Amino acid sequence: MKFYKKITLFLAVMGPGIITANIDNDASGITTYSVAGARFGYALLWTLVPTTVALVVIQEMVARMGVVTGKGLSDLIREKFGVRAAFFMMLGLLIANFGNTVANLAGWAASMETLGISKYIMVPIGAGLIWMLVIKGSYWFVERILLFACLLYFGYVVSGLMAKPEWLPVLKSTFVPEIQYSSEYIMLSIAIIGTTITPWMQFYLQSSIAEKGIKKEQYKASRLDVIIGCSITDIVSFFIIVTCATVLFPHGIRINEASEAALALKPFAGDYAYILFAVSLANAALLGAIIVPLATAYYICEAMGWEAGVNKTFEEAPQFMWIYTLTIALASIIILIPGAPLVFLMVLSAVINGLLLPFVLVYALMLVNDKKLMGEYINPKSYNYICLATIIVIICLTIFFIASNFIPEGIKALW
Amino acid sequence: MSFWGELFVSEILGKPVLDPKGEELGKVKELIVVKGDPLPKISRLIIERKRKSFYLPWTDLNIFNKRIISANVYLENLRKYQFNEEDLLLVRDVFDKQIVDVNGAKVVRVNDVKLEGLNTEAVLVAVDVGMRGIMRRLGVERGGEDFLRLFKAQLPYNMISWNYLQPLEPRLTAISLTIPRQMVTELHPADLAAIISQVSHKEGTTFLQDLDAETAADAISELEPETQTAIITDLDTEKASDIIEMMAPDEAADVLSDLPVEKAQKILGSLEKEDAEDIKELLGHEEDTAGGIMTNEFIAYRPETTVGETIERFRQDAEEVETVYYIYVTDAEEKLKGVVSLREILLSSPETKLVDIMEEKTKTVTPDADEMKVAGIISKYNLVALPVVDADGCMLGIVTIDDIIDRILPSAAKKTRRKV
Repeated sequence: MKFYKKITLFLAVMGPGIITANIDNDASGITTYSVAGARFGYALLWTLVPTTVALVVIQEMVARMGVVTGKGLSDLIREKFGVRAAFFMMLGLLIANFGNTVANLAGWAASMETLGISKYIMVPIGAGLIWMLVIKGSYWFVERILLFACLLYFGYVVSGLMAKPEWLPVLKSTFVPEIQYSSEYIMLSIAIIGTTITPWMQFYLQSSIAEKGIKKEQYKASRLDVIIGCSITDIVSFFIIVTCATVLFPHGIRINEASEAALALKPFAGDYAYILFAVSLANAALLGAIIVPLATAYYICEAMGWEAGVNKTFEEAPQFMWIYTLTIALASIIILIPGAPLVFLMVLSAVINGLLLPFVLVYALMLVNDKKLMGEYINPKSYNYICLATIIVIICLTIFFIASNFIPEGIKALW
Repeated sequence: MSFWGELFVSEILGKPVLDPKGEELGKVKELIVVKGDPLPKISRLIIERKRKSFYLPWTDLNIFNKRIISANVYLENLRKYQFNEEDLLLVRDVFDKQIVDVNGAKVVRVNDVKLEGLNTEAVLVAVDVGMRGIMRRLGVERGGEDFLRLFKAQLPYNMISWNYLQPLEPRLTAISLTIPRQMVTELHPADLAAIISQVSHKEGTTFLQDLDAETAADAISELEPETQTAIITDLDTEKASDIIEMMAPDEAADVLSDLPVEKAQKILGSLEKEDAEDIKELLGHEEDTAGGIMTNEFIAYRPETTVGETIERFRQDAEEVETVYYIYVTDAEEKLKGVVSLREILLSSPETKLVDIMEEKTKTVTPDADEMKVAGIISKYNLVALPVVDADGCMLGIVTIDDIIDRILPSAAKKTRRKV
């Protein structure tokens, strides 16, 4: 095969992997990285390396299932594990993803407020835009728009370079782990892993690959798509941490939100860095607000057996379109209610995500090792080990996270 | 053993199976389904005891309902069961499968399966695709009902009759509906007919009741004569005559001639006078002769008509007529003078008279000509339609090529299998 032929093949297949991985850096992800950088400097950078490896392995597995079976993950879960498993998983994911959508729209609102535009104007406009895109757009069109929006993530890379970090300590922190035993440090490392590997990603990636109809012959290109996507997303995470670590950490500035990070950058790194940071956050939040409800609609319809897909019309796939519409509409309303319990919703969604993730991964692992389903594309042994290790780590971290969130006094006395 | 009543499969999964002494043999784990006539039936139960699977032939059961399942064999007579790919297992192969319609669009999933007693067998009558099925599987059906009763709402039963589903085989990835719910009117009549002939007559009748007369007429025209008869007999007279009215007279005559005389009279009586006349005229001929297969709808104009006028009139007349490739030229006494093809009409100038462009050496047959002879002439001269004339040369009707093919290739034309 000639080189340019390979390139065109890749460009045709490219999309699901890059989009899924990138949008994984949604509003809550960016908040986590900003806070991590401002609070601990470069000390948490090393967690990105194992996280990226785990992410690549898991996403590749799921992508392979999508290519080989042509079905979504919840299709397979329902068919192999029955209605009970599928039903409770869907219910959990519905709540978690709703919280996630709220978090993203809140991020959108906050970034707009940072830029001085009222959220009462921008939330309805943003929600309307993303609704129109999916309802009216074809799969191809939506995919191209999302791919273009993914380019905007490089705003973070640019602002990271503008912060002029000293590269030697940065690289050292990236490849030499240093663990601090403070509860805040551990909580943040849990949050980094939790925001990078999420349940909805697995469902969305497999469904969009199935909808795109990628064939087994194109699987290699699809794998490249996944690997590139996961690498880019963690390079972006890396620069977010670096930016906040270089600019805010030395001054001891504490932040709780990504939009605060943008404002805090202003006096130290100048207007450009501040605008870049705010616009990139707005972009990431809006993308998250498209994909998370979309993933929700996909897997609920798959589990119930209803027609689903961006390519379909309201008449062809009514349940799919209604789930998407209602998720966005309700989340927007909650954002605009003064004094709504946003923080509670986000923490709840993080907890449910953490609880569900091991189940999702165990199911995925069982399916991908099923010879009847996958034939020769069954999992290599090394993948199974990495995946199992990830599952165990996630279970331990989730238990810790829940314990410290809900029994704060008892745990903290131990530290 | 006789099994009367109905139950859902999820209600008996995990239920204990008792031996004649009332000791437990094991718990119901799976059901093996085999082809049956008319519906698939249960051939064996697979029961699990201490993590081992045994099979229990249906004939060894003596009580089978949702409360009690008991067998007339003892533990030592049970044979071990090895799971394999050839058997069709209800829970493994049917439960939770995707149901797609004819076009491959997803519709619903199988949430549960309903069994019913038929003679001495338990047959699969329907799949449950509604919320009820999901709740029953989750064990909260009663709770769901009670909860909805608070809001004065009913939990609807949502089932698809097994007749509408493709025949089952092991290793299915999706089950397809033979009847698409909303696309029916967009299907080709021949495809529609194929679907109707696959379901029971009763189902076919209810199915046709819901269609508009025109679609129904097109579909019925494509059916096998015996199916036509069965279905029209079941329809009420009003609906039947609406459908007959929409059919071409030759088709209508075919259908009516096979009906019980009383029913045919009733239908003829409720037709419009003109339509009834046309049909009665055709009913007088033997079925396997030119008269029996001809239609008396054709387009005929006088020799002095100009091409321009012909086109004007043709625009109105063609609406009513099935076959319009030729325009026949007849005189005042309806004697056939010649024939003009549409192609000639289109290529001639508007002032030309038909008499100047018509082909006078027209091939014709008499009404009593044998159908094979008719087929021979149509084939030899590459005609699309062949005029039928009486002894005086008056035109009675035409035999069209599609009707003659249906006559000489009855089985091949109707046996088209749908491709899903």
